Amino acid sequence: MKVLATYNIKGGVGKTTTAVNLAYLAAREGRRTLLWDLDPQAAATYMFRVRPRVKGGGHALVTRRRPIEEALKATDFDNLDLLPADFSYRNMDLDLDDTKKRTRRLGQLLDTVAAEYDMVILDCPPSISLVSENVLHASDTLLVPLIPATLSLRTLDQLTRFVADSQGSRPEIVAFFSMADRRKRLHRDVIDAIPRDRTRVAETVIPALSIIEQMAERRAPVPAFAPTSRAAQCYEQLWAEVRPR
Amino acid sequence: MISLTRALKAADDGPLELESIVAVLSAQFDVATGSKRLVRRRRVDTFDGRLRAAGLTLEHQLTAVRGSSGRDSAEQLVLAWPDGSSPLVVPVKDVRWPAPADVLPSGPVRDAVAAVIGVRALMVASDERRRMRRLELRNPDGKIVARVDLDEPASPTAPAQPAQPAQLTVRRLRGYDDQARRADSLLASLGLRAAEQGDISGSGSEQRAPVTDRAVDARVLLSTALNGFLLTMRQNLPGLLDDVDTEFLHDFRVAVRRSRATLKLGRPVLPEVMQSRWEPAFRWLGDLTTPVRDLDVYELDLPAMSRWLVTADPADLDPLATHLRSRRSVARKALVRSLRSARFRRLVMEWGEELAFLVDSPGDENREQRSAGLLADQTIARAYRRVARDGALIGADSPAEDLHGLRKRCKELRYALEVFAPMIDHAASRRAVADLKDLQDVLGRFQDSEVQRQALRGFAEEMMAGGTTAGAMLAMGELIGHLDVEQERARRAFDVAFARFGRPSSLQLMHRLGGGR
Repeated sequence: MKVLATYNIKGGVGKTTTAVNLAYLAAREGRRTLLWDLDPQAAATYMFRVRPRVKGGGHALVTRRRPIEEALKATDFDNLDLLPADFSYRNMDLDLDDTKKRTRRLGQLLDTVAAEYDMVILDCPPSISLVSENVLHASDTLLVPLIPATLSLRTLDQLTRFVADSQGSRPEIVAFFSMADRRKRLHRDVIDAIPRDRTRVAETVIPALSIIEQMAERRAPVPAFAPTSRAAQCYEQLWAEVRPR
Repeated sequence: MISLTRALKAADDGPLELESIVAVLSAQFDVATGSKRLVRRRRVDTFDGRLRAAGLTLEHQLTAVRGSSGRDSAEQLVLAWPDGSSPLVVPVKDVRWPAPADVLPSGPVRDAVAAVIGVRALMVASDERRRMRRLELRNPDGKIVARVDLDEPASPTAPAQPAQPAQLTVRRLRGYDDQARRADSLLASLGLRAAEQGDISGSGSEQRAPVTDRAVDARVLLSTALNGFLLTMRQNLPGLLDDVDTEFLHDFRVAVRRSRATLKLGRPVLPEVMQSRWEPAFRWLGDLTTPVRDLDVYELDLPAMSRWLVTADPADLDPLATHLRSRRSVARKALVRSLRSARFRRLVMEWGEELAFLVDSPGDENREQRSAGLLADQTIARAYRRVARDGALIGADSPAEDLHGLRKRCKELRYALEVFAPMIDHAASRRAVADLKDLQDVLGRFQDSEVQRQALRGFAEEMMAGGTTAGAMLAMGELIGHLDVEQERARRAFDVAFARFGRPSSLQLMHRLGGGR
């Protein structure tokens, strides 16, 4: 089982759309895939038309009062299950803080379903927190969407240092540009200038396209409702770059 | 990915009415009816049904779609699990059967299938055209909470194959069990009943029931066993000729070898023609198939052999692999020619007639009549005595030929235990075979090491003549060195294995089986 997390300290950079589309693509090629929507805003859960509710909330999951299997929901797509968000996830830091091995608990929970899935995608909330530390330890790859802006590069620096300073196993960081508009000079300059020596940067750039925004309206991944669109092709290229071999 | 499914069909196996199904489900769900699709469903399995035996079902589904260039088909593999959890679906393109597991796209389907089928190839076990329609049952959020597949026969691809009746399958989605149960109850009101999963056999085996009466004429027992081996040979012949996988030849050879052993064991009661005509005929058949099987074994063992290398690189053995393939190709042509010859066709046909005559005829007056039980006891006793006698004579200075001779005696005892298995105590027979197997393994390792060493020397000379690489020669030298050590190790293990075979509990076991008489 491989674990990929879409993560950024900043919000609104395309984490959820990326997680949803890549999870769909992983499942489409036959991988048994689980998407865990860790963000209490529940956008990924909404896009799959699932109710954002977990019995007993995040506390029951983290403390193992309820097994993770009981909370899983099939999506409308073959091979793809969802562990929905719950508003109580906003307190997940506190729940984790009360557990033994508090920075490893999410990984331990995923281990309980390792035989059922080939791929797990974590859609993370925007923050640096105990949840983030758990995500670092549980993931093989940290996929970081960046809006092409100077401050984004600074954020990537912060994130790279955060990962480097963490104890134990560290995921590979793969950054990629999201919501890019090549008509804007600043976007072009930032994409060209990003240093590629310290952090792996994917070649694929996800453009700012209205069809991606339509995901919330259509409540489905782009390759499902617009399979030949440019956005679908971009996500397919991104998946080809980051999928486990 | 749990999602249990339940299949339903009309009480009279007749057609199912879409309108009434939709009407009854619409009472509680928003029902979206998909368009009718013509799906060709090929169930694939190995010839010996390994997937079915493991509870797995693999279907290659081809759905007719309208593409940019007119009519086209979308292909997918669907792997269903024994626990009813939701099947894995993988898109594929232009898959042709038969094929080994490595033609499947890499991922969980291939991993699961390869682990079960090993070296066997996947073949089409059944082929049906079905008209499929999917109903999606949605909740007020528009989320699919259950699926219902209406699956009706279109036209069978093979006319002789009976089509499965129309059926409905309620597919439960994980986390939405209540909704699927509700759909089930709604459909029950239409008078549908549960459908059993269709059993589509791969090999169509029709083995006869074994003879278990000890008082029956021994020729009846031998005839039943020999007919079973003939059936196995016939069943494996097409796959052998088409080179579907290496196991067809292996199973064919096992049937030939067992036929030879049975003829030899049955000499006291079988007519003279069996010894004068049929024993040489089966020896010819065995010899015919040996070269290709030997080369198959080398090719199959090559990955394991490459792990023996200490200084050489596994890639250094590539020229050997190429040489083996080329030798096999030549040997196979000769084998196929012989198996398509009039001599072979006559052998199979006349052997069948001979076996029919064996039981129906009054019997050879020169041969005594014996009960199956008595023949079993006497044969096992004689075979056991020979193993015990020859094994006891082996000392530290015994030549390799003596160990080879003992191996043959062990094989005779093993065949006797297997052929006469219906006549003897089942549990004791299994334990005796297990005891004997340890000794056979040691003797097998000893002889195989020697044979392989000689074969590798022969291959090396042939490859030298063809101008092979120095790396290949050095690597093969390492393999020969490893085999030398392995043979030594097997020789040292012999004394312990033979002592274990001759221990009192083993002897007692043989007495129970008639072997001590």
